[in-house]
Amino acid sequence: MSRRDKRPEDKKPAETAPVQSTAPAAADTAASEMPPAPRRDRRERKEGGGLGALLAGPERPYILRLTVTLFGISAAAALLLGIVYYITKPVIDWRTEEKTKAAMAMVLEAEAYPKVEGLTLPDGVTALHAATDGGETVGYVCEVSSNGFGGAMSLVVGVGLDGRVTGVSVIKHSETKNIGTKVVMSSKVLSRFIGLESPVTLNGGTNRFDGVTGATFSSKGVTAAVNAALTAVDAVLS
Amino acid sequence: MNVGKQIKEGLWSQNPVLVQLLGMCSTLAITTSFSNGLGMGVSVTIILTLSNVIISLLRKIIPDKIRIAAYIVVIATFVTMVDLLLQAYLPDIAESLGVFIPLIVVNCIILARAEAFASKNRVLPAAIDGLCQGFGYTLVLLVMSVIREFLGNGTFGAGLLNGGEGYKVFSSDYSALMMVMPVGGFLTLGVLIALMQWVQGRSAGKGGK
Repeated sequence: MSRRDKRPEDKKPAETAPVQSTAPAAADTAASEMPPAPRRDRRERKEGGGLGALLAGPERPYILRLTVTLFGISAAAALLLGIVYYITKPVIDWRTEEKTKAAMAMVLEAEAYPKVEGLTLPDGVTALHAATDGGETVGYVCEVSSNGFGGAMSLVVGVGLDGRVTGVSVIKHSETKNIGTKVVMSSKVLSRFIGLESPVTLNGGTNRFDGVTGATFSSKGVTAAVNAALTAVDAVLS
Repeated sequence: MNVGKQIKEGLWSQNPVLVQLLGMCSTLAITTSFSNGLGMGVSVTIILTLSNVIISLLRKIIPDKIRIAAYIVVIATFVTMVDLLLQAYLPDIAESLGVFIPLIVVNCIILARAEAFASKNRVLPAAIDGLCQGFGYTLVLLVMSVIREFLGNGTFGAGLLNGGEGYKVFSSDYSALMMVMPVGGFLTLGVLIALMQWVQGRSAGKGGK
């Protein structure tokens, strides 16, 4: 304990010393006259001096020192971050792509998933891929974003040429553990969508998806995503 | 240098969670499974040690008036770096920790240690302080995670051991879901703090008060 108490006193003179040598007035206000200092600043500003007077005043070297130090630290931090970002970006992109591919293979098996360009997609659908087997289109896969209980989630929805769902997979979500995840992480629950056609209704109607009790928001979010995907594919099919 | 004292303070007498009551937000939110607790604890330990070292190196350069801003820049840099590295090389942990990694920036443990220790000490003691406080934090997270996961989910080591399934102790049909919800976090933490105070009081011979 005594060592820790002593430390600040060891440090104080070392830290104020360079300030004192360059600007004695600044060191005085900083060290001994802490409370009156701001009042004086305000008066100066009222007299029309403002920041200009402050910069030209006796505190100038101290303010410059503050600016330069903070700028230096921030610049070094920015450089370091840039390097790390540059190194990790390709790896992260590759991982996201792999994950999407794996999810696509899960909802609708095919050889390739070329992206269909030039479509006006309904809200929520971020991309539409054709699923091709030997050059022949066997269905469509949509990347959809939707809202659950815990915020945004991204899904992949496969739709067959007959306009029926072939599979749903959740790529990213932030649902509550053990509640929302009963919907988004359960392939058993998500497989209830298979075979349904547009529009899918939650817990009712002929095209019903039975949600999970207690996870209404998550069920609603997934249903909305599936409906958006079905709308997008229906537009392509017709 | 008194390494033994630093270790004892970090793990027990000045434990960041149980005594200093720092970093409550992450402690309560993350300790729902063993792997989450371990991931968060290790991440915080790494960031705490690195930021302590850098802040200790810069302690004579950083002027008093802008020290908090400078500390935050240093901490935020390390947090972002760890976040990117986790996403790239340990995606499973990155996913389950989710938003809590960026939130390490405002984890008070790191800023508190920067202000209270690293800015007043040489590099080596600062690094050791970071490690010890980080271990103390990790230890509490692990204890809380194991308790909450066991009572709330009936498993041990989910997401890490036994191929990610964890070892099932009893069926989740009989588990208290409440324990993995926030309220379970408060309960567990409260009991742990009380327990520690009791043990400390007993060993000090003051009868718990």
